[in-house]
Amino acid sequence: MASNPMHQFSVYKIGPEIKINGVDLSFTNASLFMLISATLILLFLLFGTKEKKIIPNKVQLISEILYSFVSKMISDTAGKKAKPYFPFIFSLFIFILFCNMVGMLPYSFTVTSHIIVTLAFALFIFIGVTILGFVIHGFKYLKIFVPSGVPIVLLPIIMIIEIISYLSRPVSLSVRLFANMMAGHTMLKVFGGFVISLGLVAGWLPLTFSVALTGLEILVAFLQAYVFAILTCIYLNDALNLHH
Amino acid sequence: MKETEDLETRLKIAKSKLQNKKTESSDGKGLFLGNAFKLGTELVAAVAVGGIIGFILDNWFGTKPLLIIVFFILGSVAGILNVIKAAKRMQKKQE
Repeated sequence: MASNPMHQFSVYKIGPEIKINGVDLSFTNASLFMLISATLILLFLLFGTKEKKIIPNKVQLISEILYSFVSKMISDTAGKKAKPYFPFIFSLFIFILFCNMVGMLPYSFTVTSHIIVTLAFALFIFIGVTILGFVIHGFKYLKIFVPSGVPIVLLPIIMIIEIISYLSRPVSLSVRLFANMMAGHTMLKVFGGFVISLGLVAGWLPLTFSVALTGLEILVAFLQAYVFAILTCIYLNDALNLHH
Repeated sequence: MKETEDLETRLKIAKSKLQNKKTESSDGKGLFLGNAFKLGTELVAAVAVGGIIGFILDNWFGTKPLLIIVFFILGSVAGILNVIKAAKRMQKKQE
């Protein structure tokens, strides 16, 4: 059971079963770890902003770096118009980052390694950005499906291709995060299993691999949160500044 | 007097050097790796979406193998288009 590398992804209920209108709303380990991540973020940022010193302590320094990092990312990719959406992108980035990082701890559960979680994020962004585009530009927003300078003969095919490309956004956004997290954690577990089965004789080799992979996974955990946030900025930019 | 001026100019030079270094390192390896992760799924996702659309339309119109082939090809084209768009965006960022 414990040597099964996929066992770490199983979701189980904690506490009593809650059913409302036939929808299962029970508290699971996934909800527990989301709650843990959210609490950690809250505590971290509360401590970071409690005393506003000119010479910051470590926690304040890290939270200020996080703030300016996200702020710079938004202004670089989506321009000044995207400033009002800073809270959304900041909370998205930091939540995914903390979920990934909490998942790196032994015996913990990685929330973002489940496609339902990442797809929910991605669909929320996709639908939100589409609504935003229509609210700001009206029906002119449909222009993003019609690139300029295309001959009329090719236009129907190009439009279908552009629509497929637009619809592929939530899929690529969610699958990337989910696949990277799941593949990484499975690999870690497989190498961990090798250490046990090879024992003291040859177990040292997979152990070194495991250590190196853990470092790589921490990098990937950060990068995927970053990529997710920056792609959200790019999609937001497409909706805010229509130019084709 | 001359010495303080000297120190100031040297400080300025050192600061500007430090700034140049900072901008270089912030665009460093990590972000390229992020871009590399991005491109692969960008290509695959569009193919998958094209295939799914073709499958659904086939079920609607009862033209079983035809539309899924057409939309698979269109999806592949869309995937390549996605990658080209992403590459252009990267190029723009570097300039």
